[in-house]
Amino acid sequence: MVDLFTYPPILKGFIVLILTGFAFPITGVYLLRMNLLPLRFMLMHGAILGGALSLAMSVNPFGGTLVVNLLLVLLISWMSRSLKADPGQLSAFFMVVSISIAFIFIYRFQVPAKDTLSLMWGSLYTLNEIEFVGTLVFSLLLILFQARYRHQLQAVFFDSDVAQTSGVNEKGFYYGIILITAVTVAAAMKLIGALLLDALLLLPALIASYHAKSYKGMILWSSFWGGLFATVGFLLSLALDLPASSTIAVFASIVFLILILTKEK
Amino acid sequence: MEHSLVLFHNDQQIFFSDEHWLYPLFEVEQFLKEQSISANELLLKDKIAGKAAASLIVRLGIRHCYIELLSERAIPVFEKYGVKYSYQKLVDHIQCRTEDLITDKMTMEETYLFLRKRAGKVQGVSLKINSFSVDIAGKQILDNLELDLGRGEQLVVQGENGSGKTTLIRSILGLIPSINGSITIGEEVVGSTGWQKNRVQTGYLNQETIKNNFPITAAEVVAIGLSSQKIPETERAYRVELAMRKTGSFHLKSKLFHQLSGGEKQRVSLARCLCQNARLLLLDEPTSYLDEKGREELGELLIDLSKNEAPTMLLVSHDSGWTDQLKWHSKTLKGGKLW
Repeated sequence: MVDLFTYPPILKGFIVLILTGFAFPITGVYLLRMNLLPLRFMLMHGAILGGALSLAMSVNPFGGTLVVNLLLVLLISWMSRSLKADPGQLSAFFMVVSISIAFIFIYRFQVPAKDTLSLMWGSLYTLNEIEFVGTLVFSLLLILFQARYRHQLQAVFFDSDVAQTSGVNEKGFYYGIILITAVTVAAAMKLIGALLLDALLLLPALIASYHAKSYKGMILWSSFWGGLFATVGFLLSLALDLPASSTIAVFASIVFLILILTKEK
Repeated sequence: MEHSLVLFHNDQQIFFSDEHWLYPLFEVEQFLKEQSISANELLLKDKIAGKAAASLIVRLGIRHCYIELLSERAIPVFEKYGVKYSYQKLVDHIQCRTEDLITDKMTMEETYLFLRKRAGKVQGVSLKINSFSVDIAGKQILDNLELDLGRGEQLVVQGENGSGKTTLIRSILGLIPSINGSITIGEEVVGSTGWQKNRVQTGYLNQETIKNNFPITAAEVVAIGLSSQKIPETERAYRVELAMRKTGSFHLKSKLFHQLSGGEKQRVSLARCLCQNARLLLLDEPTSYLDEKGREELGELLIDLSKNEAPTMLLVSHDSGWTDQLKWHSKTLKGGKLW
């Protein structure tokens, strides 16, 4: 199995998966805490729109999904705050709009639907240099963001009013978190696909929320579980000759199930 | 006498001040806190003293004093508390507004707190609301409301549900825009750049409504009060511990916040405001969801706070049975105005 790491795509995939495995669950904690789950679904649909647009214009789909997702989250955040509209309802609306426009593009520009839908299951081993370096840099920045602003984030997650009266720029952090979520979802889709990205994002955070005894513990445990799922899942996939993304998701789900069943009542 | 106030211990000068009014006596208070000298062994020489100074001298525990110009109103105070005094000249009264404001009904502690407030020796900051109106969804909630609260003062605002009590609190916090009028906290107008920079001076104790089970410890909640401040971790931990000890919640530090009782949560939240060093404390229905014991404990804590740190406090509540026990001034919010 060690021989497999001599292949650059596998080595690159392994490196990026390990680092994102530790970093991305931090976004999972943000998603859970800020109740942004509907936004995540919308971003998955937004990514398909981005992919369809990119393929129609013959540009890199990863960049396209990233740009479309960023625009969508900014639009939703602005609308929800200034129009006082429910972010969940706005997400549902944009989910429908995104997928509709995506299929119009696929039809009009005769984009092969299977190419667009390949975003649904990711492509860990096809990362180009820019995607590889970009994902690594983003993961490191995410960890640094969490470490640098842990006190302010803690306040925002606890209560937005209390955060504001404690002198925290709550609005700034809200938008920051939304943008980070958009980038994370786009990157995770590229790595393990839209259908399985929760294995890297949400499951580690969910498991941590069951046993963490503090906010600090929640972040560290989420990161630990994410790193463990990515590492063990990846190695298992090589050993058993299975797709990496599915193996990671199945392994994470089994751990989740065991912990739920053995959790003290 | 060369200085305005001099302090002797065994005929040796140990302290002097050239400040005016009551400030030399507050300086003596600070000096005595830092020294291990028994106040009743001291002789205090002061240029001028009236009822206010006499009360402070008694409060300091000083038993011997010499006053160059003594007001007759000071004598009953000295005699009541056994202070031996002498003077160069005795007058009916001295030209001091403070002396006129101290009534015979005031206890020594009340007088002391009053003098600290007059001298600005309290944590509190003033709050001034001018012709403030708020309109929500076409309905006028606050109508040209006026309020003037001095440093370290406390006020209970009562009113029926929907009368605008929470709107008033949220307006002072700068969370609700007005249609006219202004709110000034200390020197800063709410919404201004200066206010943004000093936003931490306003602490907020909301209704205990955070029902989620997000894992956050009581100590982490208290540390939120310091979240915008760049301070070393050791100092952060020290200030959290100090604030939690003040509110008797230190033993809860490692417990998950959502697992605490309503009363414990309010203790922790109050510690958060103290940790933040809040000079204006806004309390929005703090007894909601509290049992009898929790209400009693919170009342004691607030009374303690009003006597020691003495932040300016504005409390809105419809729990009149509980607020009556605080013995704070109260007003009623009705028709968008305070009565």
